Amino acid sequence: MKRLKLLTLSTFALITLAMSGCSTHTPLYNYGEYSENYYSLKKEATQETALEYQKSLEYCIENAKESRSGRVPPGIYANLGYLYLKAGQNKKAIENFTKEKTIYPEATFFMDKMINKVEALEQEDDK
Amino acid sequence: MISKKSALYIALLTLTFVLGGCTAGPTYVTKGSEFPKMYEEQPRSLLILPPMNASTDAEAKDYYMTTVEIPFAMMGYYTFPVEMVGDVMKQEGVYDTEILYNLPANKFYDYFGADAVLFTKITKWDLSYMVLASTLTVAIEAKIVSTKTSQELWRYTGMVRVDLSGGGDTGGSMAGLLVKVVATAVNSAAADYVTYARQANSRLIYSLPMGPYHEAYMRDQTVKLVDQTPKDQ
Repeated sequence: MKRLKLLTLSTFALITLAMSGCSTHTPLYNYGEYSENYYSLKKEATQETALEYQKSLEYCIENAKESRSGRVPPGIYANLGYLYLKAGQNKKAIENFTKEKTIYPEATFFMDKMINKVEALEQEDDK
Repeated sequence: MISKKSALYIALLTLTFVLGGCTAGPTYVTKGSEFPKMYEEQPRSLLILPPMNASTDAEAKDYYMTTVEIPFAMMGYYTFPVEMVGDVMKQEGVYDTEILYNLPANKFYDYFGADAVLFTKITKWDLSYMVLASTLTVAIEAKIVSTKTSQELWRYTGMVRVDLSGGGDTGGSMAGLLVKVVATAVNSAAADYVTYARQANSRLIYSLPMGPYHEAYMRDQTVKLVDQTPKDQ
């Protein structure tokens, strides 16, 4: 009888825990200082603000687990890939564009378009 | 939980009614009844376009753009990388918002594979100086349009008005008045528009049905909102 009570109690506790899971204040994604650094970059584009912006993208990737979803937020891998593309590091650009579409299938169309562009650039360079 | 909440609402509404007598308070609608097309079409991805700037501040557009991605992603939608999308559009020669906002919505599907487009308009982004006080106003209008049906799926407005003078006494000598004006000017300089833009966003975004990456996806249709529909329509 006592055991049954304990079981009911623990089931109840579990349900409460599961339900309160929805109201937890851990955000869906961990964006770190992304927004602030993006703003600084827009306000004044210097080497320093550009570096801070890149660091905040890397932070989002490294600390993705500290969020409700455990995922890297949408667009972060794409942004990083785009920075590599602008720096002429095409291989790294493609790597990041691929990661973006792997996590978010919604991005596949756009990322494939970008990857094709990079590959076309490479072929032109080889000529 | 839900019934408790609605009971509270009813109690609050009744109280408002009793206290307010015949004057009508705000009316409430639900997300489901207000934005049924969001639940029918279930868009997964949002293409955030550069905002249209109807304010007097030329820089508002760039700054506001840095505040949009996160709140919409947090609501459970896939948001396309704003900076990259902006650059791609520039390369295509369509960065001008006037042109962008007149393009047929399906073009954004053809180019980005986006389910829906988010149009935003900055209607106010300014400081108004008065002798004794100054206020900062940030007001945003937003709408989501389907790239498949070109129909408007969601629309809302958000505004934040901040009194920067910080209160205090209003009477006094001429010297007191001068001090006050100086203090106001200092406060205004330190005021950060972007912080308030974020607040305006959070006010408007509350009404948005959750997206597929959010736990409450498709289950938030009963959430109540203040009805924004003008009474004379």
